[in-house]
Amino acid sequence: MSVDGPRQRILEATYACVARWGLSKTTVEDAARQAGLSRATVYRYFPGGRDELLDAVVSWQYLLFFGRLYEEVQGSCSLQEVLERGLMFARRAVLEHEVLQTVMETEPDVLVPKLTVESNRTVGLIGAFLVPYLHQHGLADGVDVNRAADFLARMLLSYISSPGHWDLGDAEQVATLVRTEMLAGVVAHGGRGGT
Amino acid sequence: MGAARLELVQGTGPDAPARRIPAASSDPTPTRVRVIDGALHCIARQGVAGTTLDDVARAARCSRATVYRAFPGGKDAVLRAVVDTEVSRFFSALAVRMGEAVDIEDVLVAGMSEAATEVSGHAALGQVLRHEPELVLPWLAFGRLDEVLAATCAFTTPFLGRFLDTAESKRVAEWATRIVVSYLACPATGVDLTDPAHVRQLVRQFVLPGIRALSSRPGARRPAAGVSSVARVDPAFAAHPIETTKGDVS
Repeated sequence: MSVDGPRQRILEATYACVARWGLSKTTVEDAARQAGLSRATVYRYFPGGRDELLDAVVSWQYLLFFGRLYEEVQGSCSLQEVLERGLMFARRAVLEHEVLQTVMETEPDVLVPKLTVESNRTVGLIGAFLVPYLHQHGLADGVDVNRAADFLARMLLSYISSPGHWDLGDAEQVATLVRTEMLAGVVAHGGRGGT
Repeated sequence: MGAARLELVQGTGPDAPARRIPAASSDPTPTRVRVIDGALHCIARQGVAGTTLDDVARAARCSRATVYRAFPGGKDAVLRAVVDTEVSRFFSALAVRMGEAVDIEDVLVAGMSEAATEVSGHAALGQVLRHEPELVLPWLAFGRLDEVLAATCAFTTPFLGRFLDTAESKRVAEWATRIVVSYLACPATGVDLTDPAHVRQLVRQFVLPGIRALSSRPGARRPAAGVSSVARVDPAFAAHPIETTKGDVS
């Protein structure tokens, strides 16, 4: 933990700078000053300098976000419940995330490429998380479990980012969305969904 | 770039914003076309930032002054016209393929595979995605992707409307667009949307059952725990129960 100490402190300081000034205007000097450390120390932990530091902050916040999402859906007892709770929680979290909203509005050209890298990594992680639920529920005939998990993970990320015409604050709409655009072709009809 | 694209799609008419035909010019259209094609070639080779108006003039075999006469807004105006042209071409290609389809499965396969083929085979877009992703990727997430979904949905809905009612067509158009964007932005191993056979499998497996599920009686499936009722679906959709189509598979 002591090894992680300064790194974590630098990340938190950088995040505070980003919240105030945005991604493009945050420098290594700002982060060092905010963390109360020297520039040299920041470079020791982030040899790539500013680019590496900003990538690391986005990664860190991204993982925090999905960590919270994971906590939220943990106790779910069915696939539908995982997806419904996940969608509603994640969408609310995106809307309530002030720093994300500001940076998304003012610097999408800087933020979105970084998030795209993260989200491409996350498809596999979310898929892996869903696999046991898919097994528990029972799959439709001829559906490969990994392909189904991959499909659901993509759809989940897509709706969280851009819900289109769906209102993800409305439980009934979310239930319809999950039933039709996510699970209809994936799970066995009359599967053990409600266990 | 995307702003131009959306204006074009929403405006659909020939009055695209960048269109300003210079007065008293003997034959303005070929110049514009040469400039737009020249710019497209330059972008495919050297990206957007790396393309100067001199490069465009050279590729169009005309003078810099001629480019300015055709596009008084300079490089930005040329880029806008390039995006407008390419977006029109994209939707024209989509329209041709989707218009030929004879059932809902075909129309989805045609639209999705054509979209994937056009996008992944586009030399200039490929160059920009590889070297200047910040110009394109912002349009594939958050509110801007919502705009792209809405524009694509508005264009493709009528083609689905031959097989589904309007509300359902809109829903499916947006969903299919979302699927294409996802697989293009983050390729999956073993799924190649430029291959119609792969798309057909995806459509049969995941999309058609979703279309049928909404038409089947709500509440037929058990509601998820914690959700009071699935029986009341979104009124916007429930108002238009779909008819099962002739192309429907088992």
